[in-house]
Amino acid sequence: QEFRFGSCQVTGVVLPELWEAFWTMKNTVQTQDDITSVRLLKPQVLRNVSDAESCYLAHSLLKFYLNTVFKNYHSKIAKFKVLRSFSTLANNFIVIMSQLQPSKDNSMLPISESAHQRFLLFRRAFKQLDTEVALVKAFGEVDILLTWMQKFYHL
Amino acid sequence: AHTTVDISGLLQHVKFQSSNFENILTWDGGPTSTSDTVYSVEYKKYGERKWLAKAGCQRITQKFCNLTMETRNHTEFYYAKVTAVSAGVPPVTKMTDRFSSLQHTTIKPPDVTCIPKVRSIQMLVHPTLTPVLSEDGHQLTLEEIFHDLFYRLELHVNHTYQMHLEGKQREYEFLGLTPDTEFLGSITILTPILSKESAPYVCRVKTLPDRTW
Repeated sequence: QEFRFGSCQVTGVVLPELWEAFWTMKNTVQTQDDITSVRLLKPQVLRNVSDAESCYLAHSLLKFYLNTVFKNYHSKIAKFKVLRSFSTLANNFIVIMSQLQPSKDNSMLPISESAHQRFLLFRRAFKQLDTEVALVKAFGEVDILLTWMQKFYHL
Repeated sequence: AHTTVDISGLLQHVKFQSSNFENILTWDGGPTSTSDTVYSVEYKKYGERKWLAKAGCQRITQKFCNLTMETRNHTEFYYAKVTAVSAGVPPVTKMTDRFSSLQHTTIKPPDVTCIPKVRSIQMLVHPTLTPVLSEDGHQLTLEEIFHDLFYRLELHVNHTYQMHLEGKQREYEFLGLTPDTEFLGSITILTPILSKESAPYVCRVKTLPDRTW
């Protein structure tokens, strides 16, 4: 079982385990997000992503989640006694990130730029919110991210 | 479910119940609700501002509402809310948790035809259609939605011995059986990525007598 984001291959990650980890936190996290009229991972960010684009977008999103969302949300999650699940998610995101090697070939520039625009759409929405609110919302949207990643997962 | 302060105790447990992507909103009355209490349902996609009233579920007394058509996109995320109105007390509104049918739906047992022969039993699994539509508008089967879906079949020969088959195809045959003998078959649907497993479809079937003597 592996992820295949276009030419980027990722092994050693068991997607059901990521789902199980998120489900233990889902209601705790999502009920803290009262802004139901704002979605960071909007349909335009993830809809109709080509295989070639997917490696770039997955890399950008996972990097943001690790460096911004998980890093700053860690202290808040501790009080909900779901640290183990949180770590499962974070560690698996690190494994995926470490294996994603988006091509730096000039011929891929239009594709990487398209992926970057999608990522900017997400990050702009994140930055428009108060930081604490944005962190809770982004973490609550991990299932949206997993639903998208699942399309590239092969048993 | 998100709660507005419900001092009057009119409404509780507002949630989706989903099975094979049939998405039903259900709720319970509270301690102070009466047979005159009426309920109104609204829904929306997560990320959208506007709530939409569900026609047919406005000022109803029943405590469920079918939102299958309104929440048909299985990769989308939705919210629904119920407002309870009763004489003499302020109305109360409560919202569901964020709902994704892909994650929440349970899988019903498959529809199977068990065909006895003299020394074998054939099992034909029929595709399960769902309300989910493809982009060109045809109803999707569970197999088309869950790419990791497979079937697990068991044939109970006696108390201690079972035969097992599993796979993604729809036709299976248990071979090498004793004629004129009763067997119990059970067939389950599994989708491992989202850790879903249906209850089994069970068939009790007897192999045919061997008339070749």
